[in-house]
Amino acid sequence: MARISAYHRPSSVEDALALLHRSTVRTVVLAGGTTVVPSRFEVPTEVVDLQSCGLAGMMVEGATARIGATTTLDTIADDEAMPYVLRDAARREQPSTLRTLATVGGVVVGAHRESELLAALLAYDAAVTFVNGTGAHTCPLDDVLGDPSVLHGAIVTAVEARIDGHASAARTGRTPFDSPIVAVVGCRRPDGSVIVAATGVASTPLVISDPTGLEPPGDFRGSSEYRRHLVVELAARVRVALEVLA
Amino acid sequence: MSAPITITYTLDGATRTAAVAPHETLLRLLRREGIWSVRFGSDTGETGAAAILFDGRLASADVILAAQADGHEITTVETFNQLGDELHPIQKAFMVTGALQSGYSAGPMMLGTLALCRKNPNPSEAEIRDMLSGILDRETAHVKVVESVQRAATLLRGEAVEEFRPIILEPMTDGTTAIAYDPASPKVVGSPAVPRVIPSRDVPVMQVVGKPEIKVDALRLVRGNSAFVDDIDMRDMLFARLVRSPHAHARIVSIDDSRARALPGVRAVLHHGNTPQVKYASGGQSWPNPYPWDQVSFDDMVRHVGDRVCVVAADSIEVAEEACALIDVVYEVLPFNLDERVAETAPKVHAESNTVGIEDADRNLVHHIVGRTADCEPYFDDPANKVFEQTFRVHQVQQTPIEPHIAISWLDEDERVVIRTSTQVPFHVRRMVAPLIGKAVKDVRVIKPRIGGGFGAKQEMLIEDIVAHLAILTRRPVRLELDRAEEFYASRTRHPQTITFKSAVAADGTLLAQRMTVVANTGPYGTHGFTVQMVTGLRGLSSYNAKAKDYDCKVMYTNIPVPGAYRGYGAPQAEFALENHMEDIADALGRDAIDFKRQNWVKRGDRMDIVLRLGERGGVEGDIPDEDLPMVMSSGIEECMAQGMRSIGWHRRIDPAWVAPADRPHIRRGLGFAFCMHGTAIPFMDMGGCSIKINDDGSFNVLSGAADLGTGADTVLAQIAAEVLGVPIDDVKMYSADTDLTPFDVGAYASSTTYISGQAVKKAADELRLKIKRRAAQMLDVEQECSITLRDRRAWAPDGRSVSLEDVALDSLHTKDHEQLMGIGSHVSTECPPPFAAQFAEIEVDVTTGQVTVTKLVMAVDCGVAINPVTASGQIEGGMLQALGYAHTEEFAFDENGRMINDSFGPYKIYRADEMPDIEVFLVQTMEDSGPFGAKAVAEIPKDGVAPALRAAIKNATGVAMNDIPFTPERVWRALQNAGLGK
Repeated sequence: MARISAYHRPSSVEDALALLHRSTVRTVVLAGGTTVVPSRFEVPTEVVDLQSCGLAGMMVEGATARIGATTTLDTIADDEAMPYVLRDAARREQPSTLRTLATVGGVVVGAHRESELLAALLAYDAAVTFVNGTGAHTCPLDDVLGDPSVLHGAIVTAVEARIDGHASAARTGRTPFDSPIVAVVGCRRPDGSVIVAATGVASTPLVISDPTGLEPPGDFRGSSEYRRHLVVELAARVRVALEVLA
Repeated sequence: MSAPITITYTLDGATRTAAVAPHETLLRLLRREGIWSVRFGSDTGETGAAAILFDGRLASADVILAAQADGHEITTVETFNQLGDELHPIQKAFMVTGALQSGYSAGPMMLGTLALCRKNPNPSEAEIRDMLSGILDRETAHVKVVESVQRAATLLRGEAVEEFRPIILEPMTDGTTAIAYDPASPKVVGSPAVPRVIPSRDVPVMQVVGKPEIKVDALRLVRGNSAFVDDIDMRDMLFARLVRSPHAHARIVSIDDSRARALPGVRAVLHHGNTPQVKYASGGQSWPNPYPWDQVSFDDMVRHVGDRVCVVAADSIEVAEEACALIDVVYEVLPFNLDERVAETAPKVHAESNTVGIEDADRNLVHHIVGRTADCEPYFDDPANKVFEQTFRVHQVQQTPIEPHIAISWLDEDERVVIRTSTQVPFHVRRMVAPLIGKAVKDVRVIKPRIGGGFGAKQEMLIEDIVAHLAILTRRPVRLELDRAEEFYASRTRHPQTITFKSAVAADGTLLAQRMTVVANTGPYGTHGFTVQMVTGLRGLSSYNAKAKDYDCKVMYTNIPVPGAYRGYGAPQAEFALENHMEDIADALGRDAIDFKRQNWVKRGDRMDIVLRLGERGGVEGDIPDEDLPMVMSSGIEECMAQGMRSIGWHRRIDPAWVAPADRPHIRRGLGFAFCMHGTAIPFMDMGGCSIKINDDGSFNVLSGAADLGTGADTVLAQIAAEVLGVPIDDVKMYSADTDLTPFDVGAYASSTTYISGQAVKKAADELRLKIKRRAAQMLDVEQECSITLRDRRAWAPDGRSVSLEDVALDSLHTKDHEQLMGIGSHVSTECPPPFAAQFAEIEVDVTTGQVTVTKLVMAVDCGVAINPVTASGQIEGGMLQALGYAHTEEFAFDENGRMINDSFGPYKIYRADEMPDIEVFLVQTMEDSGPFGAKAVAEIPKDGVAPALRAAIKNATGVAMNDIPFTPERVWRALQNAGLGK
């Protein structure tokens, strides 16, 4: 059982930040709860629930989709204005009973190495908007995942993705909706440039240029050697698919 | 303590206010409010057992803080019940289709249906399966659940639905003779949820038996009524939590519980220093439990990660957990071993001197099981024969019932110990727990309410001694529930085995000799180690005829989480190895695998010669006359073959264009087959008892000791009683498995309930029927009571006059020669009639990644007469789901310290609704005269064939044969690499 000692539901991001920045109390941000609630904290911890901070909702303007941080994954999966690969990745991220709770902001902060949604967002050249003690900032998702300390003491407010490209995804898992051992998502931009991102080959999903040079950490589902083989194979498939789409 | 928060929320349309603790989950709040349909499956939301509608959307209440619900709308199954006596269409749909087995997660399924149909009144199957993706179901394979949702959607649209009843098919064979496979034979059309029944001419038409009756306990499940162990309120309940070993092998040097005892709210701490050291074996089996008795409630040794160290009982779970963290345990860490293959030279697991019955503790050898019909060596040595030898490895998996182990104990008003527990074996638990807690059997009562799945994990006295100890000590009710991680590493699992088959085959393909050598891993405790491995030998050496059969099995101690009973009970291991071996022999001989197997498999009239050599209480030595050997009296395997081959489209396996589709260069397709033969109950041992009495209105109460796990046993038993007594099933009221109130029954295992407990019910009903007929004859002034017949709730004279059963009951209870008309029956079988089955699988292999996708499973089963074809087919579907996980995805992974690293769903992968292959089930009737109304077993045989069928299909697709499971992507990729395939 989580040792949650107090619950706060601020009505603004500013109030949430103020609670988060108290020096005497350990405080964590609660978005959907799928990660925080099951946690077993070592010390009493207070939670700041963002549900009333007005961070939910999606908006597409031109080639940019702005996804509020507390937008749930099922909302993304159900929004036909979003590209299929992104919707499908949101659907794959969690099963039905958790997809309605988990949020895109929580996925970004969680930075799980098997997150196909993060790979998709990387392929769609996403940026993360967050606020911290020094104000609001926007940072490429790739950088945020590369240096998670960027988000320490911060609250993610939105994720923006450029959705005007064509995307394709490939993955290998034990079953069709298993969290992939390795997944690769690629997106061809209108200018012809291609971004390819992968899961399962580093501590977080990442943009890859030369998959052959990766040294993936292995586990019981896939050794390092196997994961390297997969990322090369799946990246090649994605690139072929992107050629076809072009 | 944190200050409570006051929240206001809407629950099923009514505004509620509650004071909640900051850490309290919505699951806890709702159960505190008496909403029993929201149930615990894990703390992390992945089982979906706690799902509710949160503002109209399906969401797991175990990962929602109660405080988060402030201002929100919560919907539970209670919302359906606002219609009063009228059932909601969704409830009706779930009752009719057989979607409810244990029903533990019925609430979330129905609520998901409600949300989905509001969003889309005509959802596609893919949308339905996606909705179900968050509700894990270990029982149904989702087939009938999907049908329920479709049916509910139809009803909600105001459209008519067809009656849900089996599809009756014409037999394709004469019942015994093989027919040539015809690729042009039309496939069966109809919902896959509807069982396909192929009747036998030997089976008479019956009124209740053989009909798709709605389960007798369906109402309580769709209503969300109190049903399961945890669905009670008890004043002053204490909550128990265990400190478990972080080490795979260690000696406990000291335990300092002083800080824990000083914590306010802590009522008791138990460990080896303050509990009796009474030796026992935890496997729920008949008296006397097989040796070794190598456990005590709390030991000064720990032998696997997760082993018991001590337990705390406190006023709340939070206090109990905090107290556990305050207990200082000093360990002397010892070397450990997880692998049965090197166990003989590994560190000694049981060095104590007071455990008796270990074959050779110095070598970690628990049992050495041997049995043979004749010497195999002459056949191996004969140069005229071809000899084949192969070794296979099967791994450790878990039963994963969605309801974890849970028990509540208290002292009743007479200070007897009552244990309300989720068990398959209430009578064994009573007998086994009594000496551990210093009580006589008469002073212990065990109640088995509804169980949320067991599959063998609950054929164990696992936690009942703990709650009983604590209840006696504290004189307060005590509740202990395992969390999901504990359920993985601290309950029970399937035995890993290394299996070698050596066979001699004559030039004409006749199997002459077969030797099976097994090294089995029973972990640190014997529990079911002897009997599971005995069954491995029975199943491995029963399916095919051979002049000589030889079984040699070493059961080894190691330090893995404890194996025990798991549905199939040693057979899935054996059948994987056996079927692979036979398939490979056929290939080596250039024979068609089915033809070769058919040439050798046992047929009606064959003797099962290994059976008496491997009895549970020791095999028979010396000569056994042929006539003393059990004979196969019924087999529908050829009809199973014909139906299964047609369904799977068997001809495609040799069609190159199908195997290697031109438009998908990475993909190879394959089909596989496995022959399955199982057992029905344990002869001369499994026993069931039953009593039936008539009530004033001519209805009946059936008291049975049988333990319905969600399988539909209560329904099947009620159908048997109703058939005998000439009444509809609704006139039969079941009460089962309460050691104070019901007759004895060994419990739910060994595919015995229908066959053994059913026969006990039939005997009791037969006795009662005679008494009813006798009294009716008096009332009708008929001289020959045997001429009276019972049907349509009446007793009929040959001349057409009749009296109602109500009249008979009133006459006997209130009018003349007063007596309670009742019947008592108990049954032990001398037979063990085998069910047979044909298992087929269709798969795709991605040859460059190794990913295997299972696209279809077909199983045609001869289970004798299916008393209820809907529940029987549900058993087969659910069994295949578990077998699929065994073959394909499930495995225990350990770190270098012997700690399980995938002790949650997801990392431990079981199939979800949205990734299941197509499934089709056929019920091939045969008449098994030794069973009630012709029934044989059905519960376990679906566990046997999926793994070898998948292996055969992969081999068909790629030419690569794999000798260990599961067929996970990297394992398959490496096999392909070794064969020079893929990239």
